[in-house]
Amino acid sequence: MEAISKPVKKKDHDSKLSGRALYVDDHVLEGMLLGRLLHSAKAKARITRIILPELPEGYYVVDKNDVPGINQVHIVQDDTPIYVEDTVEYVGDPILMVVGPELKEVERILNEIVVVYEELVPVLDMLKSDTVFFNYNYAKGDIRKALKEADRVFIETFQTGYQEQAYLETQGMLAYPHAGRMTVRGSLQCPYYVHGAVAKALGYEEKDVQIIQDVTGGGFGGKEAFPSILACQTAVVAKKANKPVKVIFERREDMEFTSKRHPSICTYKVAVKDGEITGMDIDVLFNSGAYTTLSPVVLQRGMICANGVYRLDNLRVVGRAVKTNTVPCGAHRGFGAPQTFFAVEMMMNHLAKEMGLDSLELKQKYMVKQGDSTSTGGKYHFHVPLPEMIEQIEELTNYREKRRQYRNQTGRYRKGIGMSRFFHGCGFTGSGERDIIKAVVRIRKNPDDTVEILASNSDIGQGLKTTFSKIVADTLGISLDRVLIENPDTDRVPDSGPTVASRSLMTVGGLLKRAADRLKQEWQAGEEQVIEEHFVEPDFVIPFSIVEFKGDAYPTYSWSVNAIEVEVDTLTATTKILGAWGTFDVGVPVDMNIILGQMEGGFLQGIGYASMEEMNCNEQGMIRNNSFSDYIIPTALDVPNLVTKIINNPYTHGPYGAKGAGELPLVGAAPAYVEAMENALGVNLNKAPFTPEDTMRVLLGGLN
Amino acid sequence: MVNGYHPELLQEALAIRAQEAVTPYAGGTDLMIKPDEKARYLFLNKVSELKKITEDADYIRLGAACTFTDIQESELAPEILKEAVSQIAAPAIRNLGTVGGNICNGSPKADSALIFWATDSKLRLVNSRGERVIPMSEFYLGRNETSLQADELLAEILMPKTGLSHYYYKKVGVRNALAISRVSFAGILGAESGRIVNCQTAFGAVSEVVIRRPDLDAMLSGKTIEEAKASKEDYLRAYDQVILPIKGRISAEYRKAVCMNLLRDFLDSNGI
Amino acid sequence: MVKFMLNGQEVVSKSQANQRLLDVLRHEFRITGVKCGCKEGECGACSVILDGKLVNSCLVALGSIEGSTVTTIEGYRETERYAALDKAYASVSAVQCGFCIPGMILASECILAKNPNPTEAEIRAGISGNLCRCTGYNAIVKAISIAAEEGKGLW
Repeated sequence: MEAISKPVKKKDHDSKLSGRALYVDDHVLEGMLLGRLLHSAKAKARITRIILPELPEGYYVVDKNDVPGINQVHIVQDDTPIYVEDTVEYVGDPILMVVGPELKEVERILNEIVVVYEELVPVLDMLKSDTVFFNYNYAKGDIRKALKEADRVFIETFQTGYQEQAYLETQGMLAYPHAGRMTVRGSLQCPYYVHGAVAKALGYEEKDVQIIQDVTGGGFGGKEAFPSILACQTAVVAKKANKPVKVIFERREDMEFTSKRHPSICTYKVAVKDGEITGMDIDVLFNSGAYTTLSPVVLQRGMICANGVYRLDNLRVVGRAVKTNTVPCGAHRGFGAPQTFFAVEMMMNHLAKEMGLDSLELKQKYMVKQGDSTSTGGKYHFHVPLPEMIEQIEELTNYREKRRQYRNQTGRYRKGIGMSRFFHGCGFTGSGERDIIKAVVRIRKNPDDTVEILASNSDIGQGLKTTFSKIVADTLGISLDRVLIENPDTDRVPDSGPTVASRSLMTVGGLLKRAADRLKQEWQAGEEQVIEEHFVEPDFVIPFSIVEFKGDAYPTYSWSVNAIEVEVDTLTATTKILGAWGTFDVGVPVDMNIILGQMEGGFLQGIGYASMEEMNCNEQGMIRNNSFSDYIIPTALDVPNLVTKIINNPYTHGPYGAKGAGELPLVGAAPAYVEAMENALGVNLNKAPFTPEDTMRVLLGGLN
Repeated sequence: MVNGYHPELLQEALAIRAQEAVTPYAGGTDLMIKPDEKARYLFLNKVSELKKITEDADYIRLGAACTFTDIQESELAPEILKEAVSQIAAPAIRNLGTVGGNICNGSPKADSALIFWATDSKLRLVNSRGERVIPMSEFYLGRNETSLQADELLAEILMPKTGLSHYYYKKVGVRNALAISRVSFAGILGAESGRIVNCQTAFGAVSEVVIRRPDLDAMLSGKTIEEAKASKEDYLRAYDQVILPIKGRISAEYRKAVCMNLLRDFLDSNGI
Repeated sequence: MVKFMLNGQEVVSKSQANQRLLDVLRHEFRITGVKCGCKEGECGACSVILDGKLVNSCLVALGSIEGSTVTTIEGYRETERYAALDKAYASVSAVQCGFCIPGMILASECILAKNPNPTEAEIRAGISGNLCRCTGYNAIVKAISIAAEEGKGLW
């Protein structure tokens, strides 16, 4: 283990364990009002009238008419309204907010409001959508020739469903006006995203808006963009009432109406000639929901990953994110990759069967190596550790032997084992880091020689406070408790970019290392010093053009292999997970326990995505799984101990060799699980989640 | 206005129940999910007479306010009940939830109620004027509807002392904890000298009310194992006609298949 | 007016008997260590120890706890047992976002109070009502094992 990897006691352990840490709902301000949103009950309608009851003194209703600035939340584009204009586009679209001193009274008023809708016809099925929000395509080689010359062309379609982040702490914001400024604090991942959105909503100059991240109870992408919307809504109310306003989402509200993982339908057309896979023609369809939000970026990443870890000289990927009158989908750990990695891994499994090979045998032939070209004509600049990771998993699980053993079972209990191999592109796609984010960090040495880290990245449980501090402390050769780091406050920290895309440790941590290196050289005891560092793109990166989808989409990749072993009880069609193993390459772990915790947590989320986290809309466009009793996430009894291994594969351009870590562990669990189910049931499968009902359909003789 | 009553004795509780419009509150784990602002609760969780577990010549008597944890920790409670109760939700729910509440909320998904149905247990209902003892089948009128009168409380559940040791129980939930049953099945088969002396089966969570058909079980009672084998397919076919899962978000086809699989397995495991 | 013991002190609540204990603790008594995750008894973030047993405070009506004893993380953190759990949880960095943690700590106490040498299966069953989305449960299960091992004599 590298020295930096040695675990330390986390900086926020004490405050969180003791219950002293204050999350947004724990703050109570003098004169504070509490707010509740009224959400649209219709998937598509025109609002013809809103009938309000009489409002007691101190209670307000706020809607689009109260937005001082522009009634739009800037995410990538600006089509998300703060409060709806004339139409509602999904069940949940926020129409207005009721605020007042007593929550019960607020709820009573809310229930008495009558919204008169002129119902229009919603589009709920992504296949029937008539609005393409985003349409990209890229190609390499000559796919048409490959298809034309093929002996056989295999076509198959794969589907993945919604996933709800299910952070334990729901969305929440607290806004308070003071001296011509507006401060908004809350549960969020990206203070500067919120900052820009709120300034625009209020029509304020940037200097008059302050955003503070409160201790945040989980994000997983669900608090990347959505908080901007809630923050704008809350700030507008706080401005109107001229009082502090707190809004905390109920769990049902959060599950039904906040951003989710994009459901996908991916179709693969694969050319095979002389027993070789000569090309893939891939169609990727993502359900964007009612507004664009982060769909362009999610689609881009999904498309870039569409051919998985496989080297293909002839490739075409066409992708669309389409509108439906359902909840707008957005960031969720993995960000488009879980969808397409599921599809490509399953496609390769099925191809292997057709070609008379075990899936691992076939996949090993095509796995990329260092120096190979990526899907977008970039390069895998660094060592690709997949072969050794596969052997590591093989040693732990006896995968090959079990695959053979588990074919053609007939008893009540049927076992299966599956394996997946995948990557996560580290950092923002393409040149976003260089051209859009332009991260800046500062470290300030105080006169007492303590050093404070000033960056906008938020610790949402992944341990950033600790890992950032370790980097700075170790570089400067001072003890960890001499390094200070607060939750980001836009009044005090520069914009080092959002806490997304597995960029924080690698990119911002890298900037902090550089700043600390410089401080070390320039250190003057007893003096206050401020060191600032700006992002510089690594020199080896082949510039990426988003228009052509050409170049290095990512500077480097984190790699992983997962295996999952299951046992199906054919009487009840339920599945027990006998074992789950994952080996992960995140460069060098900046703290072994923190990285293991991230891998274990992400792996379990992926297992949930694969097996039990089913979420659907009904014919009215309403999400019925809107509580923890209906949206099923794993409990401690649903999995055994997850076996996680970390390999050392230092990244030359990451601090201490670190690469992106946060999202990797979720990306590949689904294909490992579903391949295990295929092994147990003896049929090809093409959907995730694959639930007991799906299993029963197979057992009863039909295919899903 | 009083919005809660804390009787110490059952008599007190019954007197209040007779006079006021109150909602009996035993564990609160159902009531508090959607609390009624206007509700006036009659708190029964500290009425010691309702928390006893005793036995007499014929029955094991469970106080209605016994929690699931009380059942798990009791030496007297039968194994079949303990097994069912140990799979309810999670420890924190089991520490509050009561067998009485589980029965009185009238849900076909109630895991302990299934056992009381399958074991042909009786319910002792009391009011300030007296009591009545009725079988489960008289208590349940339909989905979430019971025959509990406005002045009555469920005081005790009377479980038969014998014939419960050879049982089959399966709860099929959506995960291994915190899971509402999708299908639950309890089967009891007692045999002496190769002859079936009692066959009791019941299905929960699939219909408006627990499915308990003693008339179908009678197809096997009294027969030898060999004779029962001969009747097996008829028995399954008869049951197939009466298990009609209600349409819901979990497919009826799934539930039906699981029910029939479990029933067949119950028979197989008994050599039938 | 409901009288009960809260973290070792006798208190009287002026809230209504049909109020959730969770809300009474958070709003009337400003006990913020008890978290609200779902209000339906499905997540365990609101766990407290009531008369020695782990319960979801969102499902407890105030009126049902007349004369009872309630312990939240605020009271528990003063104990030696807490110190053992603290050390164990820290050693495996089991705390990530922290929202489930106060509930998990109280659940840990209830497991060990009943069974000072639990197996992994018993630990998992003991925390089965406490949802965690961050950790995958591995580190928490390990922490409780370590506390059982290191905290000999405490439970």
